[in-house]
Amino acid sequence: MISNLVDNLHFLTAILLFLIGFHTMLTHSNLIKKIIGMNIMETGIFLFFISIGYVEGGSAPIIREGTAMVNPLPSALILTGIVVGVSLTAFALALVIKLYRYYGTIDADEIMRLRSNEE
Amino acid sequence: MSHLPVLLVIVYLGSAFLTPLLSRLKRFSANWFAVGVAALGLLVSGTSALYLAEVGPFSYFPGGHPLPWGIEISVDWVAVYMQLTINFIAFMVLIYSKADLIREVEQGAISWYYTLFFLLMAALNGLALAADLFNIYVFTEISSLTACALVAIKSQRQCVEASLKYMILSTLGSGMVLLGISLIYMVTGHLNINVLGQALPAAFAAYPWNILVALSLFIIGFGIKSALFPLHVWLPDAHSSAPTPSSAVLSGLVIKVYVIVLAKIIFQVFGIDLFSAIPIPEVLLLLATFGIFAGSILAIGQKDIKRMLAYSSVAQICYIYMGLALVTETGAVGGLLHVFNHAVMKSSLFLAAGAIIYKTGIRKIEDLAGIGYRMPITMAVFSVGALSMVGIPGFSGFISKYYLAFGALDAGKPFYVAVILLSSLLNAIYYFPIIVRAFFGQGGGKFSRDNLPRMMSLPMLVLAGITVYFGILPGGLVKIVELAAATWLR
Repeated sequence: MISNLVDNLHFLTAILLFLIGFHTMLTHSNLIKKIIGMNIMETGIFLFFISIGYVEGGSAPIIREGTAMVNPLPSALILTGIVVGVSLTAFALALVIKLYRYYGTIDADEIMRLRSNEE
Repeated sequence: MSHLPVLLVIVYLGSAFLTPLLSRLKRFSANWFAVGVAALGLLVSGTSALYLAEVGPFSYFPGGHPLPWGIEISVDWVAVYMQLTINFIAFMVLIYSKADLIREVEQGAISWYYTLFFLLMAALNGLALAADLFNIYVFTEISSLTACALVAIKSQRQCVEASLKYMILSTLGSGMVLLGISLIYMVTGHLNINVLGQALPAAFAAYPWNILVALSLFIIGFGIKSALFPLHVWLPDAHSSAPTPSSAVLSGLVIKVYVIVLAKIIFQVFGIDLFSAIPIPEVLLLLATFGIFAGSILAIGQKDIKRMLAYSSVAQICYIYMGLALVTETGAVGGLLHVFNHAVMKSSLFLAAGAIIYKTGIRKIEDLAGIGYRMPITMAVFSVGALSMVGIPGFSGFISKYYLAFGALDAGKPFYVAVILLSSLLNAIYYFPIIVRAFFGQGGGKFSRDNLPRMMSLPMLVLAGITVYFGILPGGLVKIVELAAATWLR
């Protein structure tokens, strides 16, 4: 049982990060914290995906006869994923700046209160 | 000729980056350029449909590497049907947008608006074609990012707020999709959906949990993005506050493409046997039923006309889910037909509502009394769309409900026929008062001209004409859809 857990520690860590990010994203009312949660969640998924490609004792994927290599595909894919994540973060932060200009706060609950006062 | 479907993505992607450059020229109109590109897109998708009719479904390998290493683009009837729908609606909406955007978007942002629009079109066309899970993920991200930006481009506080809400939830959805992809890749080592379809039974025998968790992650992830009840919370805000052309495209196309992608993954990767072995179709049918009723009931309570149309989309997307979750060929035909029919009628409704706002500034339903006399053409288009939504025979909405009902009977679930009938009644409750108030309310009198720019009234009339045409003569459309449904369910 314990050795099973230790062997799969990388998966557990990744899922834990995913859940922490998920929780932060949905429960915090501070918009910047929501975006940080989004990043933590994505990092969890990226780590999960990359750890799939790891081969015990493998070297960098440069083809040489007779040596084991790690799987290069997950790393290549996640590179794209990271770029997507960066652009999502940049866009979300830009929206938060705009919201701050309109309402003077970055707290989602406060914004809801201001809006209901308006109406 | 086999390059055509892929060329479509490239044309849109290229023109997205050309627009800001070209708009530096003095005598350049981004609107006309956009209409031209969309016309080209419609032409190309039409030609590739004709080519497909000649040679049958084929695969295309950009880069020329064979399976299982190369990236495959599979051109089948579903892909071509989706491309035709996407490009037709985009063409109509872009014609309309010329006059409307000047009011809704700041002058400097208009050429950027078209850049975003083209990127969205490239992503949607790509999603229709992609036969590779990672390509699907990348196109999904492009389309959700540009869809959020198309909402936020209008400088109003509600838009920015709605866009951020949409963005956070859809990031959650795509995160789940990526996790699902990694779980599948972990046990099979493939990303291509056709190869995966063959490798999956063996993988399922060895690692059932991975596959089941991945399946549920896909359903929830794409469910958030396509506003499957109860994951629809972002949709009413985003679709009602966006500029009218964005609303039409978001409600008409974007949410449906995700349903089609989910169906593609479910039917081609997981297969019908696995899909029906666990009670997922039942769960989806139940959610769709709740969604149809909840969306309609919430729509009844709305005061803002665009918000009401947005809630109606929540209900209508559930018909597509229902058709596909019935797992019968007739049901799938109904669901797929509703993709095109709902795209046409919902965009005509949004464009008509946008024209009323453009002309009179009225958004509240109760202020619409007598509007039918002041804007007869617009309200006629709205009435055609509304009657088709309700499912009156003679309009295209009836045809898809007809096939859905027969699909439910084929599946041996007559309960859902009752659901479809009852929901038509609910649709009537919120659409008819608008028509009645517009034409029979006080403030009537003589009909006057609409005085809309011709670029606005023309696409609305064409969309209304298509609704009536395919309501009376659905033959050609049904034939394509039957071929499309046969690729998934034989």
